[in-house]
Amino acid sequence: MPAGTGLAGDLASIVGKDHVRSDPGALAAYARDATSLFHSRPQAVVLPGSTEEVAAVLRYATARGVPVVPRGAGSNLCAGTVPLTGGIVLVLTRLNQLLEVSSEELLARAQTGVSTATLADAAAEKGLLYAPDPGSRTVSTIGGNVATCAGGLRGLKYGVTRNYVLGLEAVLPTGEVIRTGGRLWKDVAGYDLTRLLTGSEGTLAVITEATVALLPAPAETGTGVAYFDSLAAASRAVAAVIASGIVPATLEFLDRKCIDAVEEFAGLGLRGDAGALLLFGDDGSAANVAGNLAGIGDVCHENGALEVTLAESVARADALLAARRCSLPALSRLGSLTILEDATVPRHRMAEMVDRIDAIADRYDLRIATFGHAGDGNLHPTCVLDPDDGEGADRAHKAFAEIFAAAIRLDGTITGEHGVGAAKLPYLADRLGDDQVALLRRIKKAFDPAGILNPGKLGS
Amino acid sequence: MTDHDSVDHSSPCGSSGAGCAGGAPGPAPAAGTPGLGIFDKELLDRCISCGFCLPSCPTYALTGEETSSPRGRITLMRALETGDLAPDDPTLTEESSFCLGCRACETVCPAGVEYGQLLEQWRDHQWGGRDRPWIARVLMMLVSRPGLLRLQGLVRRHARGPGGKAGPRDATPAPSHPPKAPEQPVSLMLGCVERGLYPQVSRAVRRLCPEVDVPASQGCCGALHAHNGDSATGEKLARTLGGQLPGTILTTAGGCAAHLAHHLGRDRVRELSEYLDEREHRPAGQVTVDGRRARAALQDSCHLRNGLGVTRPPRELIAEVADYVELPGAGQCCGAAGTYALLRPADSRKVLDPKLTEVETADVDYVVALNPGCLRQLEQGLRRVRSRARAIHLAEFLALAAEPEPGRPDSGPGAADPREP
Repeated sequence: MPAGTGLAGDLASIVGKDHVRSDPGALAAYARDATSLFHSRPQAVVLPGSTEEVAAVLRYATARGVPVVPRGAGSNLCAGTVPLTGGIVLVLTRLNQLLEVSSEELLARAQTGVSTATLADAAAEKGLLYAPDPGSRTVSTIGGNVATCAGGLRGLKYGVTRNYVLGLEAVLPTGEVIRTGGRLWKDVAGYDLTRLLTGSEGTLAVITEATVALLPAPAETGTGVAYFDSLAAASRAVAAVIASGIVPATLEFLDRKCIDAVEEFAGLGLRGDAGALLLFGDDGSAANVAGNLAGIGDVCHENGALEVTLAESVARADALLAARRCSLPALSRLGSLTILEDATVPRHRMAEMVDRIDAIADRYDLRIATFGHAGDGNLHPTCVLDPDDGEGADRAHKAFAEIFAAAIRLDGTITGEHGVGAAKLPYLADRLGDDQVALLRRIKKAFDPAGILNPGKLGS
Repeated sequence: MTDHDSVDHSSPCGSSGAGCAGGAPGPAPAAGTPGLGIFDKELLDRCISCGFCLPSCPTYALTGEETSSPRGRITLMRALETGDLAPDDPTLTEESSFCLGCRACETVCPAGVEYGQLLEQWRDHQWGGRDRPWIARVLMMLVSRPGLLRLQGLVRRHARGPGGKAGPRDATPAPSHPPKAPEQPVSLMLGCVERGLYPQVSRAVRRLCPEVDVPASQGCCGALHAHNGDSATGEKLARTLGGQLPGTILTTAGGCAAHLAHHLGRDRVRELSEYLDEREHRPAGQVTVDGRRARAALQDSCHLRNGLGVTRPPRELIAEVADYVELPGAGQCCGAAGTYALLRPADSRKVLDPKLTEVETADVDYVVALNPGCLRQLEQGLRRVRSRARAIHLAEFLALAAEPEPGRPDSGPGAADPREP
């Protein structure tokens, strides 16, 4: 598309006209990400091919006061890459070189646009594990994962993205290129800017390269499933499992509404009389996996499990995992407007939180089903609506405001892994308090004096 | 953009003053805005914009741009439907044409979006009437007129005639495991493109499956029309052909199979490999090159794989008669994509090129295709890079195993030494 003159023309002089879009179609396509209900068109879309081009675009934008919204694959669920005040969407998919995977140093270095799965697969080829596994790993970019501190199914045992970021190359809004951290596990020289940028949601700097830690890949994985009368019973079993000294790699749950939706959609033969389904798994040496799965099964039985089944084969394990994986699509077929949130509470308060979610859903006459990560208390209450039900969407927003407030009262948070973005900014002060919000703004100002980087999000 | 996007997006910010940007630009039509009716609303609403389709899309792989991804194209369709983009917007025109229509996105879509149907509706709008590319117009006219189809009479008779060139060869060989007799009549569909370009494919089927009938009067299945902006004629031709071919329709083209199955019902239609598989046909003989067993790869037919979910049978059939080699990109579009290779030859080649490299790396003797378009695309591509591998249709490949080509010491590709440049 020809870039034309004005903003697009200026950008074309930096990156070449083939890498600038300002046609209405492109602006419509980049007006949204994976978040429902948020969209706003930019004035231009630019796809730089190097760190230097990123720096030149940012220098230009700071000089002109034009907003810049960095974007990887656009798979985030917090409207983090929606250009709320227009300006430039800075798409980083051309920076897609995997620079190295080192067995000796147990690390990988990748440009920001490399997909999470590409990095993880390259590590796996060398017998290594990149542990963070966000649900969108085949789509999402490593830069986007760092910017949102993406989580995933292995959080309890392996942690999240921040636990694996060793170093970053990033471009400040004023155009300076900085390299934080590096290839070291120990390095306390200066403020930990690597951690500060991790989860900064594109509001402080544009991440152009990441160095991440790898682990030796576990030899075996195993999976099982347990049914309980209620989520409270499942929750007690989870606490008992961890108290018994086992930290499973996978501990996922579905509530009754999810089980029903999944069963109706996929016909996996799930029990219809259970109040909660707990999917558990572990990895490691064959003996460890077998021992831990048996141990988890025993603890579940002791805590009132209706039934415990261990998968005897990889195929059976995949079938069990399918129940968890197809939760969202199964729910989305009940109504194609899905609002998926990720309120998170301490593990032992999970059942209480789900009860509150159910009560709030009833009060607002909404269909909200909950699944999530039982190991780390990360819940995914999902509201399913008819896309034409505008009034229903309003009720859903009121219900989620109450859900976030309930999570905070239970010592939890408004978002465990999706990010704040535009979607949860209104609730951020409730979580952090005014003093911290003010500090966030001062930090943002120090990085971005002109306030051009992803305005209307964190630090704004 | 979409109806469900049309809810005022600032509402989540309403309850707090925590700095949520207020006046976001961008049109947001009121909830319940009636669309233009270009698309089936249910189909369009199904997409939840999660983006899981992005890595599956060959054109997104080429550009890395949202507009050439399935999610981005659905956003474009929604903008067209709501009037946010003008009906003649050049990006709409370009992207509806740039899409291969391979439907790989459907197989990874967690929400079950029927992208292929949406693309047909989109092209009905974009390519209706005079806006259709002239090559597509000529082809559609040729295949939809029985009179013009009859111009291919010679080759058609060739395709219909007794399998093989010489009489005695038709009687042999008896399959080593006689297939089960079909319960209902099976009619071989000749295919409008295939009967002209590759009549030997139908002849091979006749040799492999002597039980099938080949009705004399049969038209085009209409897939060509459906994929080129005239889905109404596409459906009409499919129904007409359904009336002309009694019983199960056996086809050697994955694209035709998916189109016919959509309009006539899945039960009426069998692609060759699934037909042989269901009837427990064990192919006889083997394909050899220089006295050794041949190495053969497969190019999936996109609509057979992504539309009908048929992937196992062709692989197993090839493995019976040759050493099967799975190409890393066997399931990805080869760039033929119906008329695409004619309409957008440069893009078509860009999609094909990585596959040609894979073929060379795999060092195979044959690449087996399940669709005449793919066969033509692979033939041309392999010739262009001077590959020693030969493209061949599954039917021919199995027939070759049962009986090596006459006049050759064995059934290797090329006339004499296939390794000669």
